[in-house]
Amino acid sequence: MRLSNVKVTIAGLFSLALVAGCGSEKEESASLKMWVAPNAAQEVFWTAVTSEWNSIPGNKPVEFTTIPATGSSEEAVMSALASGTEPDITTNIFSGFAAQLHGLNQIVDFSKLEGYSELIEQRQMHNIMTSWDYDGAKPVIPIYVNPVMYWWRTDILKENGFDKIPTSYDEIYALSEKFTIPNKQYAVQVAAGKNWWDRWFDFVTFYYAQSDGMQYVENNQATYNNEAGLEVLGFIDKMFANKWANYDFGANDPLTTGELIGAVRGPWDISRYEQQHPEILKTIKLGPIPTKDGASDKKTATFADSKGLVLFKSSEMQDDAWKFINWVYSNPKFDLEWIKATSQPPARGDLTSNPIFSDYYKNNPLAKGFAEYVDVAIPSASTSETVAVQRSMTQMLERLIFTDSEIKNSVDTSVEEVNKLLGK
Amino acid sequence: MIKGLNIKESAQGGLIASTYLGYSLVFWIFPFVWLLILTFSDWQFIGTPSFSGLDNFFNVIQDPLFWKSMKNVFRFLMYYLPMVIFASLFFALGLKKIKYGKSFIALSFLLANVSSGVAYSIVFSKLFSDTGPINDFMNSVFGFTIPWFTNPDFAMFSIAIVITWKFVGYYGLIFYSGLVSIPKEIYDAAELDQTGPVKRLFKITLPLMNAQIIMVVVLAITVAFGIFTEPYLITGGGPLESTTTPMVVMYEAAFQRMEPSWAATMSIFVAIISFTLIWVLRKLFEKNIEIV
Repeated sequence: MRLSNVKVTIAGLFSLALVAGCGSEKEESASLKMWVAPNAAQEVFWTAVTSEWNSIPGNKPVEFTTIPATGSSEEAVMSALASGTEPDITTNIFSGFAAQLHGLNQIVDFSKLEGYSELIEQRQMHNIMTSWDYDGAKPVIPIYVNPVMYWWRTDILKENGFDKIPTSYDEIYALSEKFTIPNKQYAVQVAAGKNWWDRWFDFVTFYYAQSDGMQYVENNQATYNNEAGLEVLGFIDKMFANKWANYDFGANDPLTTGELIGAVRGPWDISRYEQQHPEILKTIKLGPIPTKDGASDKKTATFADSKGLVLFKSSEMQDDAWKFINWVYSNPKFDLEWIKATSQPPARGDLTSNPIFSDYYKNNPLAKGFAEYVDVAIPSASTSETVAVQRSMTQMLERLIFTDSEIKNSVDTSVEEVNKLLGK
Repeated sequence: MIKGLNIKESAQGGLIASTYLGYSLVFWIFPFVWLLILTFSDWQFIGTPSFSGLDNFFNVIQDPLFWKSMKNVFRFLMYYLPMVIFASLFFALGLKKIKYGKSFIALSFLLANVSSGVAYSIVFSKLFSDTGPINDFMNSVFGFTIPWFTNPDFAMFSIAIVITWKFVGYYGLIFYSGLVSIPKEIYDAAELDQTGPVKRLFKITLPLMNAQIIMVVVLAITVAFGIFTEPYLITGGGPLESTTTPMVVMYEAAFQRMEPSWAATMSIFVAIISFTLIWVLRKLFEKNIEIV
């Protein structure tokens, strides 16, 4: 009987321990914890960087893991914050999510830390940092800036009598008229997909190009019902109305199957094509994002898929964390390692002028093409309502594609919807 | 002596039950209580929830996306119920006729049910895309294509086809168990009365399978309120929000808009509506069939 009582007590304690285990107490740690994007190339980079840092005597060791597998990085970070299991530093933070974290007072303002100005100066990041300003605070160190560009299959362009890359809407209309066979092949992809994040690669990209880099949400107000927004929607509308565009290419990459001649792609696609489609990559030429009047001497603005790192206020080792961050990003050697590992342009303003990168870009002309556009590549609007804004943009596009909605009505409805939301 | 034995038995019983009680406490009662707290508070994953009264309830009711997703559930059921019941019944009737390899065929169909939602969603989006093999075939044979996932009127129907494929083996086996439990004598008697096969189906088979049919319909309703992977991955909830389901809305609210309190409140509404629907259905159609 006594034994049974002991067993019952143990079981009870076990149950209690299970419940207590869900508590949010953080253990003090002897090393800095860091999360990085779940991406093999980035893991290779951080393995080398942290090994070097950890081998220097006196440095607080840094341990990195990939962001835990969930629906998204944002979900993983928020779950960790809720349960008190967040690391000291995390990478892979986009501007909209940074706005949310800043609004929740969870991340450190780097601009108040010693050595910040020198770091920005040294990396020539002043222009880049204007897109990462949150009410005067700078709580994110952007790591990379991936300008998206138009990739063109020059082999198919030539077959259709186009020696020059199309850059204006009229040139794309002409190419589409010649090349399109509905449900089989299309000249360009003007709608990137059905999900909210696809708007970064169609409407937002076209809008930045047409408006010369104007924001679509400014001072908590949607602004894309202006002339540039109407021009872009007019272009998309005409492409679909003439059956020159398709909304659904399935899960294939239509550029590799010859279903498309031109589409928006990013620097991350270079390594994918190198491994999977090396022959097609040889035919690819970069072009600016098409606009109404086409390319001029001035570089056309584009969307930047840009991610940065943040330092959590809950970190008990903020000084050591900042020391580590400063050490990594003040040495261009690591930026070169980064490009070699990921093909993604690091967030710095001297990529094409700094001699340390010249050999790499000489041997990688496609990567150089992207690097040249870093200074005109603008990240997503710094709003905490990114999902709702881009969901509304999706509805705006779909009203044009699937109904007889007027362009002006469609954009006004979306802007009104977004303003109502942002005004809450 | 007997008293001592009872205490020992109780202790052992308590020990066995404690694991389940511990499990329930952690994985059921705690989330449920937390859900209730969230519905009456404002919380963004961090810090202490602040009391907000009935604000979340009013906000959910006033949100057009909530109503749209509810409407989509009923649109889905309108396609899914007849399709899955007919296909499963057909599968069960076929399985009953087969003499050899029954287990193999049943398992083959059941495989769809245990497949990864992400994997088959990618496969279906390739198969049914505007430029995919199904449309290629239709174009070359019939001269037209179907915008499976890109037409607001078609997209939910296409999602229903995918979910039917997933559940036909599972529901079919439930129907099969009902079919084999109907005594052969009843069919023999019907044959003596010269009852035709259609009349036999509607007057004998289906009425005697009432329990299985109700079970399948109840399961189908729970599926309808819970679909997420397929619309999220294949259509992104579109076009024109025609495939936005309650789960997609709640997921986006909680983890992308960072409004878990709003999502928790919506989940209460969804639970009430689905339970009510099931309760009404059982009240109206469930019959106590006894074969004596």
